Amino acid sequence: MTIESPRETGAAVASLPSDDLLLSVRNLRTHFFSREGVVKAVDGVTFDVKPGEILGIAGESGCGKSVTSQSILRILPKNGKIVDGQILFRYGDQTVDLAAEDPDGRVMRDIRGQEIAMIFQEPMTAFSPVHTIGNQIIETIRIHQQVTKEEAHDQAVEMLRRVGMPNPARNIDEFTFNLSGGMRQRAMVALSLACQPKLLIADEPTTAVDVTIQAQMLELLRDIQADLGMAIIMITHDLGVIAELTDRVMIMYLGKEVEAGTVENVFHRPQHPYTRGLLSSIPKMEPGRVEIEPIEGSVPSPYAMPSGCKFHTRCTEFMAGVCEKRDPPLIEVAGGHEVSCFLYGGREDLE
Amino acid sequence: MLIYIFRRLLVMIPVMILISVIGFIIIQAPPGDFVSSYIAGLEAQGDIIEPELIDSLRARYGLGEPVYVQYWKWVSNFVEGDLGYSMVYREPVVDIIAQRLPSSFTISLFSLVLVFAIGIPIGVFSATKQYSLADYTFTLVGFLGVATPNFLLALVGLWLLFVWTGNASIGLYSPEMQNAPFGPAKFLDLLSHIWLPALIVGTAGTAELIRTMRANLLDELPKQYVTVARARGVKPTKLLYKYPLRIAINPVISTVGWLLPVLVEGEVLVSLVLGLPTIAPVLLRSLLQQDMFLATSIIMILGILTLVGTLLSDILLAIVDPRIRGSV
Repeated sequence: MTIESPRETGAAVASLPSDDLLLSVRNLRTHFFSREGVVKAVDGVTFDVKPGEILGIAGESGCGKSVTSQSILRILPKNGKIVDGQILFRYGDQTVDLAAEDPDGRVMRDIRGQEIAMIFQEPMTAFSPVHTIGNQIIETIRIHQQVTKEEAHDQAVEMLRRVGMPNPARNIDEFTFNLSGGMRQRAMVALSLACQPKLLIADEPTTAVDVTIQAQMLELLRDIQADLGMAIIMITHDLGVIAELTDRVMIMYLGKEVEAGTVENVFHRPQHPYTRGLLSSIPKMEPGRVEIEPIEGSVPSPYAMPSGCKFHTRCTEFMAGVCEKRDPPLIEVAGGHEVSCFLYGGREDLE
Repeated sequence: MLIYIFRRLLVMIPVMILISVIGFIIIQAPPGDFVSSYIAGLEAQGDIIEPELIDSLRARYGLGEPVYVQYWKWVSNFVEGDLGYSMVYREPVVDIIAQRLPSSFTISLFSLVLVFAIGIPIGVFSATKQYSLADYTFTLVGFLGVATPNFLLALVGLWLLFVWTGNASIGLYSPEMQNAPFGPAKFLDLLSHIWLPALIVGTAGTAELIRTMRANLLDELPKQYVTVARARGVKPTKLLYKYPLRIAINPVISTVGWLLPVLVEGEVLVSLVLGLPTIAPVLLRSLLQQDMFLATSIIMILGILTLVGTLLSDILLAIVDPRIRGSV
């Protein structure tokens, strides 16, 4: 038996639940099939993104946050499949279910780069090492827009200027190995934003770079977002980044949403034991030595997922006879603040 | 770039000198010289030897003098284009090489084209369809190709040709075309003969290239820039050839240079079996009979080929890969 989130019931197929949404991911399940077994990397995730909003998705490695983003763009590795759910996206004046599209078909190719763009973890490897950055930016523009080479070139230079490249007219003909780390980051952002997409997915853009560049990157994303007004999904394991940049946040654990809400609510009034654990494991800059409290245990093997609530094996508030029995329901504890935990209800028939 | 090429050419000079010294010493190492083995051979047959010829040869090439004097005489003649005299063929070495090198070159060139034309597409196919039945089949064929000796293939090829056409001599041209001036008709005739030796000489190389190409491409395909390109809406076909293939092919380009002499070597047994008028059987015979001018000259030419080939690959590589271009 599965318990559906309240949002999902009664919604029509292939139309966005509300007019003011850009993206609505509903009950997404993405599984990986290998010889060792099935990995349920994303196992029933539901969230919405409004135009111009910054949503954070946070969690430990292996929680399914990157797979969620790859599912939206349909760029999963060969053995990954969306087995259930919908990814509704506002495309022009219609709504498309990205989960039902052919991953290499016309619609998906048109949407990639034009409507939804992605920034990846390592700026060094985002560009082909044997092509200039301009070559790849212009290519993206010309895939999606009917413009001449010269017009595309001008647009590319303009975008490089917007992301703060020191000398756009010259940088456009450079290769990535000629650029510094910070400039690569900027070039990568310019590449993603070449067609001014409505949604930008940033998959751990600050993970592989040093702190100065991290700070620059966050500032850049904030400026560009204010400038172009696109929505951003920020995927990271760094709660500091979430706090600094995003409006709302979803915390994931082993392919499931555990808690979601405004940054204010989730960070100051965390409800789920996992969220609380995450927040108390961050070192604090306070006078006197404050011990970090790590979460007990370690992430279970993806091939041997716990039954019921996925976190029950490490939870400090584990309730025997409840938590391991079935998935906890998503419960709204305050306006827009939802938690997936039996502590807040849904266990009545089990006790 | 021009400076780079010039610098490379300059570096080639000492390398060539080294090759000539080593080549010369190795050929000189066995006791005796070609004149004595030549005389011995003739005497065994009861022939009369003209002492004048022998004396003039000995004097001309400084036989009997210290090795370095001989080397110096040989090298100064070599530079002037006098490659010496072959005692076995009783012809100037230059003439023998001029007769045979073109056919060697032709076979090698055709082999090279075949190796690329077959190896690259199959390698790419195997990589994109990794672990499919076709991939396993090509892998098996590839291993067989690497493991089967050339001469065996040549024998099988010759036998098949005989069974099918009743003709056991391959040659490079039909008898009536042998002396015809080169033109489209002669080229077609050449094509109809050369494919078999070219294929046999190129088998091992093709099999290796399939493996290399497959491995290189499999290394590139999961790289992030491919995913990024996909996430930008680039078409699947372009995703293959514009980015990963371009990079995967670099190591292949860098091996073109030394593939040339390898193909010439690979010809030895094939040419012997198929009776082809190439340089390779001459090299073998000259080595066996201590025909030192012929042997050393061929070795020198192979050495120069390797050097030129390597230079060509490096220039090609610098043209296709900006990372290398930037550092030259």
